[in-house]
Amino acid sequence: MAFLKVKEACFGYNSQNILKDISFKMDKGQIFCLIGPNGSGKTTLLDCIMGILSLKSGKIFLQDQDISQLNPKKIAQKIAYVPQIHNKTFPYTVEEIVLMGRAAYNGMFNSPGYHDHQITHNAIKIVGIKHLKDRPYTELSGGEGQLVMIARALAQQASLMIMDEPTTHLDFQNSLIVLETIKRLVKERQLSVLLATHRLNHAFYFENNGLDTIAAMLNHQNFAVFGRPKEVLSTKNIGKVFNIDCQIIDYHLDQFYNQKYIIPVKTID
Amino acid sequence: MNEDKINNFILKSKKNNIILILLIILPVAAIFYSLFIGRYPLSFMDILRVLQSSINPQGSQEYPDIFNTVVLQIRLPRAILGAMVGGGLAISGAAFQGLFRNPLVSSGILGVSSGASFGAALAIILYGQNYMVYFFAFGFALLAVAMSFFIGQIYRSNPTIMLVLGGVVVSSIFSALVSFAKFIADPYEKLPSITFWLMGSLASTRYRDIFISIIPISIGVIGLIAIKWQINVLSMGDKEARALGVNNILAKVITVLCATLATAGAVSVSGNIGWVGLIIPHIGRMLIGNDNRLLIPVSFSLGAVFMILIDNLSRSLIGAEIPLGILTALIGGPFFIYLLKKTKGKGW
Repeated sequence: MAFLKVKEACFGYNSQNILKDISFKMDKGQIFCLIGPNGSGKTTLLDCIMGILSLKSGKIFLQDQDISQLNPKKIAQKIAYVPQIHNKTFPYTVEEIVLMGRAAYNGMFNSPGYHDHQITHNAIKIVGIKHLKDRPYTELSGGEGQLVMIARALAQQASLMIMDEPTTHLDFQNSLIVLETIKRLVKERQLSVLLATHRLNHAFYFENNGLDTIAAMLNHQNFAVFGRPKEVLSTKNIGKVFNIDCQIIDYHLDQFYNQKYIIPVKTID
Repeated sequence: MNEDKINNFILKSKKNNIILILLIILPVAAIFYSLFIGRYPLSFMDILRVLQSSINPQGSQEYPDIFNTVVLQIRLPRAILGAMVGGGLAISGAAFQGLFRNPLVSSGILGVSSGASFGAALAIILYGQNYMVYFFAFGFALLAVAMSFFIGQIYRSNPTIMLVLGGVVVSSIFSALVSFAKFIADPYEKLPSITFWLMGSLASTRYRDIFISIIPISIGVIGLIAIKWQINVLSMGDKEARALGVNNILAKVITVLCATLATAGAVSVSGNIGWVGLIIPHIGRMLIGNDNRLLIPVSFSLGAVFMILIDNLSRSLIGAEIPLGILTALIGGPFFIYLLKKTKGKGW
């Protein structure tokens, strides 16, 4: 049974199509990397899967249940969202932020109870940010903030985590911390992760680490290519979708481990 | 480890219990204190005797009736209404700040106050100073919010900002209408009444005023206290709140409705009192942090205490009553700056 099934999904504003006839499946414990140029509709597709936007036609099934039939609470119990840029307003503490992941399990007029606090503490511990628990999250660095968002998604106890460019604003170390956290969660907890990213090399990172990874390149309203990163991310495909000349190099870290790396060279007119 | 966690939780709830007890004691103490403040010369013992005989009416009354009137018919209802008004304004200010994700928002953001002002001015012109003022003020306050709400629906892709814009537009329309009402009002009879109403006052409060306003204010306050944690989640923004599993449209409508009822109930009996709905939530943030689970009830309690104290000043500083709107701004503004300096804006 596929965990997530998207069937001929179409979406658009008025007469303008943004997504057309998109179909794919995702299994448990799989990482699905959604790649594509700016404005190709990656975020739109994620919003449709989360039920925030409604499809024009087509269906999305989550564990065989039609998403359009589920209320926000039911969806949130199965899909957690890690936003790209989080607009920080009030300086809530990290703990208060992570606790918000429990909203899907509390009624509108309830406040979270002991059980919710326990799950929150657990999520904070798993992500490894216990030392930040009482800090105002407005004072955290970009990398720490991203880990808080991941902890909040964990507290949601959903089996699919949707991430919108989780490493965009992060430096090398923080990017790796986030990637390693994702890797650990997928390996240890059989979490499925659907992430939109501009860092194509990250798809290789997951694949090289032995995770069940799929890469899909979104362009002109549909998937241009779809499959294992090794096959999908070729100079030809990348060149076509992004309109660039690029090189892919293989670097042997040691005898078992070789890392692929994409080098963008120049744009094509 | 697990035991440690449980202890931690109990410790936290103990701290919260102490805060909750303070929340109830402080306003009651402020009401009690304000019985002793006023121009009519009553000694400490006089007031205690009045209170004692009101609790135990069997004993013979060995003081003049006017004592009873001053303490029980004038000072007590005034303090109670002050608590309700201040609490109602502050709690809705806190709720609106969370909902609009903006710390500079106050209870009047959706045009409640200007709507109420126009309603009151209209009623004074049409019917003079009587109970109609209350109903007109309340009705127009609700109308103003409804108008802001519908303007917010015009352009759906950013509903929150549109709602705030709607509030700005509606506020300025009603302010213009208030000016127009003042312009055409009879300058000897009606204009002074309108002007005084606009500056806010609890003078001439009777129990009737409490009975009228207690319904909307308590519905609003209880509703906001019930939905307080959802306001935390709503303050993450529409998309995140929705992804966290909140029915954000319903939660927002309930919050706006409750905050509007509390504000409208307050301004229609007290007139325009600014600042309370802005600074009290911030004082709360500086004292106990931003978690609306505590902030919402704390704002109510602090607002109640603040209003009672301001009203005590209003009736005891000089010979005449100073309008409340003037005092809240004169005292609230500098106090707010002092707090900002002292806490270095912590909790903001």
